[in-house]
Amino acid sequence: MKKLTKRFIVGLLACAMILSITACGSTGNSTEDKSAAKEESAAKVEEVTAETTTSEETAPTSDEPVTIKITWWGGQARHDYTQQLLDLYTESHPNVSFEAVPAGWDGYFDKLSTQAASGSMPDIMQMDYLYISTYAKNGVVADLNEFAKDGTIDTSEIDETILNTGMIDGKLAGMVLSTSALAIGYNPEVFEKAGLAEPDGSWNWSEFIDTNRKISEVTGKESIIVSSGATGDIIPLRYWLSQHGESLFNEDGTALGYTDDQLVVAFLSMWKDMVDENIYPDPDEEAQILTLGHEGSPVVTGDAATVLDWNNYASRVSSVNDKIKITTPPVSDENGESGLWNKPGMFFSVAETSKVKKECAEFINWFVNSEEANTIIMGERGTPVSASVREAMIQSGNMTDQQVAMFEYADRVNEIAKKTPAPDPEGISEINETIKNIGSSVFYEQATPEEAASTFRKEVSAILARNK
Amino acid sequence: MDHVPLFKREGYNVNEKNKVSPYKKKDNIAGYLLLCPWIVGFLIMWLIPMLISIYYSFTDFNLLNTPSVIGIENYKRVFTQDKSFWKALQVTFTYVALLVPLRLAFALFIAMLLNRKHKGLGIYRTLYYVPSIIGGSIAVSIVWKQIFGNKGVVMSLLAAIGIEQKVSFLGNPNTALGVLVIMGVWQFGSSMLIFLAALKQIPNSLYESAMVDGAKAAQTFIKITLPMLSPTIFFNLILQIINGFRVFTESYVITGGGPLDSTLSYVLYLYRRAFNYFDMGYSCALAWVLVLIIAIFTVILFKTQNNWVHYESGGDN
Amino acid sequence: MSKRKKINSILFHAGACILGFFMIYPLLWLLASSFKSNDTMFLNAYSLIPQMWDVATNYKSGFQGVGGVSFMTFLGNTVFVTLIGMFGCVFISLLAAYAFTRIKFRGSDFLFGCVMMTMMIPPQVMVVPQYIILKRLNLIDTRTALIIPWFFGGAFFIFLLVQFFRGIPMELDEAAKIDGCGRIAILFKILVPVVKPAIVTASIFAFYWIWQDFFQPLIFMSSTEKFTISLALNMYLDPNSYNNYGGLFAMSVISLIPVLLFFVIFQRYLVDGIAMDGIKG
Repeated sequence: MKKLTKRFIVGLLACAMILSITACGSTGNSTEDKSAAKEESAAKVEEVTAETTTSEETAPTSDEPVTIKITWWGGQARHDYTQQLLDLYTESHPNVSFEAVPAGWDGYFDKLSTQAASGSMPDIMQMDYLYISTYAKNGVVADLNEFAKDGTIDTSEIDETILNTGMIDGKLAGMVLSTSALAIGYNPEVFEKAGLAEPDGSWNWSEFIDTNRKISEVTGKESIIVSSGATGDIIPLRYWLSQHGESLFNEDGTALGYTDDQLVVAFLSMWKDMVDENIYPDPDEEAQILTLGHEGSPVVTGDAATVLDWNNYASRVSSVNDKIKITTPPVSDENGESGLWNKPGMFFSVAETSKVKKECAEFINWFVNSEEANTIIMGERGTPVSASVREAMIQSGNMTDQQVAMFEYADRVNEIAKKTPAPDPEGISEINETIKNIGSSVFYEQATPEEAASTFRKEVSAILARNK
Repeated sequence: MDHVPLFKREGYNVNEKNKVSPYKKKDNIAGYLLLCPWIVGFLIMWLIPMLISIYYSFTDFNLLNTPSVIGIENYKRVFTQDKSFWKALQVTFTYVALLVPLRLAFALFIAMLLNRKHKGLGIYRTLYYVPSIIGGSIAVSIVWKQIFGNKGVVMSLLAAIGIEQKVSFLGNPNTALGVLVIMGVWQFGSSMLIFLAALKQIPNSLYESAMVDGAKAAQTFIKITLPMLSPTIFFNLILQIINGFRVFTESYVITGGGPLDSTLSYVLYLYRRAFNYFDMGYSCALAWVLVLIIAIFTVILFKTQNNWVHYESGGDN
Repeated sequence: MSKRKKINSILFHAGACILGFFMIYPLLWLLASSFKSNDTMFLNAYSLIPQMWDVATNYKSGFQGVGGVSFMTFLGNTVFVTLIGMFGCVFISLLAAYAFTRIKFRGSDFLFGCVMMTMMIPPQVMVVPQYIILKRLNLIDTRTALIIPWFFGGAFFIFLLVQFFRGIPMELDEAAKIDGCGRIAILFKILVPVVKPAIVTASIFAFYWIWQDFFQPLIFMSSTEKFTISLALNMYLDPNSYNNYGGLFAMSVISLIPVLLFFVIFQRYLVDGIAMDGIKG
């Protein structure tokens, strides 16, 4: 009996503890926040020493010293030049200093979410299309629209459909930095070996498959590669639906956008047939190819002729094989439509909790619009969104042929793109997982394309409904 | 509630007759004094976070929102609506059932071989420990994909002995988990080390007197080595089962759960739920279901240990 | 007899060497790859012998580090964190294991249950609450945050030592007690020498685990200059851009050396552990 009461008390104490911690720990805007703000301002005071900051509510004026905490993911090269950019910016804006947090891709969003959960996000964060809706809908990223409107961020050189990919529920949740568009990378030497002319991009799907069939007959190997897999994510299906006049999701991302499952059936059957004909690798081999990295990809090594990838493909592999070129993916057999769109590559978002939003916006503007910054970036983050920057960089003559082709491709897509799809809905990672599974089930013959298409509809609808 | 000790302890100060308090005040103080550094860490890094995560498991917490309590909804969803939960559970059980016996047997076997005074044994010990220290690194993941891929070493060997196949073991849903099990067995080094340390603790005199009695190698193994090793076997068994259920790195780094979810381990699934699908509340519920499953196995094993584990210090013969 | 012994010995070594090769194949591969040039790395990835030896480039680029922080800084951080973490971990676990096995105190079973529990919960769901607590303690992005999760002992180590302590007969303690030894003296003078192999094993594990600890530090740390090697290595990689695999592999090799060295130096004690001859019987 005595033991029981004792345990009860221990339990109570524990509950009290947990309440006290979670109550202030996890809410975005409560006490936690204020204390963080105080800490921050305290740190600032220390830094300034000479100056005595009195107000913390009013936005700092432009020559008051500020520290911007900025984070991004990337590889070594990106870390190095981004640091260089930050230093350069500080040179011309001596009041702005940066606290840079470079990171690898792995774990980047785990960390960002954890920081969001405790109200301590960096001021500026590089944001991915996959996650921007979730962050925006939960109100942890700031609305940049006011800065776009008052001209702090100049958007005049940016295609509106591209700009709007960062627009979620009427708020500009992220400033798009770069775009990429689907493209076919091809190896001209392989075409030559098979006695075929280089593609001019006018092909439709059956011509595309025919061409590759001929090449496969000559090389005895699969000729079509899809860098992330035909059903590795939703991109190829989205392209397919788009050129058939349909969209994957509806406007507000709450349900599937297409009604006829037959389109998905046709898509899956087409790829399955290519697998059966040994034009496109089966999942076993594909898994194997993916491990080779871009540098060892069959197209680069001359084993395959074509690869469905992005318009930076040729530029990305140029250090290994500078003969690779890009062209447009096949148009629809039925109506000759392309279905291409410029996909936002990455964004800069600003934390809602940031105290220096204005300064962040100014920096983002410089990053996106200035030639000074972009001659250092050199398209490493994708095709720059500003048309004048693209133009100036092509004119500068500092770019490789592959980079010029990549920029020109983006311009071409801007002309033919009907519209950029609405931002990906929440739950997109789960949907990517779903299409991977239904695709594999077709390729392993565990399901017919018909069954797979209806499974896809059922599961995706459930995911979208749950995230509404 | 009846108080069932996890293990019986017989030492000094056992006062069986005094039922009111079998503990001495002095011992209580000494026990807690020795434990207090650990308790500090336990409170900060474990107890409070555990309580918070239990709380999350009853909320709709998605990492970015303010959690609101939704009762047992998450737990209901685990058992009634979640196909992937069952799939992940099945994958994980299969993995544990295959890996644990294989790895332990292998580790014990090698430890026995290496437990002698022989030239060059230190080198072998080091070589065999290497896989355990390069664990789940990116390099290892690439190597494994190379070895078991369709151009890899394994394929070439199979082709050399006439079995030509056009599959990659890691790309095939029927074999991918098998490769992960092999990889797990390959990392037997840590278990081996623990066995080695335990073998060192067996007094030589036991073997010597057995030799005098004319016992054969097999007999000494069964009569002396196994009983003396039983606390360590027990330890390794518990540990491997717990770690097996929590397997994450292998499937995360090497197969990403695929193909067709055939290597989707339970923890990989709950990790995805938490961080990729923004479903932290639900993920916490999954985690506590897993703790329950592991705890059941552990408690059962602890209960059986009286029947087969031999402790020199606990004289329950 | 001696001929048979010789043949046996040869067979043993041959078998052990073959097995050894399979065991270290990935390490050899890593070493070989660190000498290959970045562009051809995956073209002949399965070959252990680089077609073109390029010994310096990768190591040079690797040592430059990332984000303006040199690799030596990462190395220094890792050594610092690992040594302190390991010492605390093993020592505090030793005290705890001693209490659990040699002292009969109220609540010990419950506490041991707690120890086991910490092993069962997946760390992936603990990291957010842990972050919140460390933030309240103002420890986020400090080296302390790297050490704390290890310093106060760990379930694995406590359980390991408990099992080894339980393999030691109580008579040993009692004899010492009669000789007038206190508890602490019994632990350090009588028991520790006997479980030395276990302590060495625990230290080897602690060293390696702290050395390569990744997920929690990744979440807790932000400043590159405070990163450990495993965090720094992660920064070399982004699946969507051009990666410096060569530098990554070179630095992986460098980062494995201390772990291997530590093992090679201390595994000796596994062999020379004090055998308990004469205690029993």
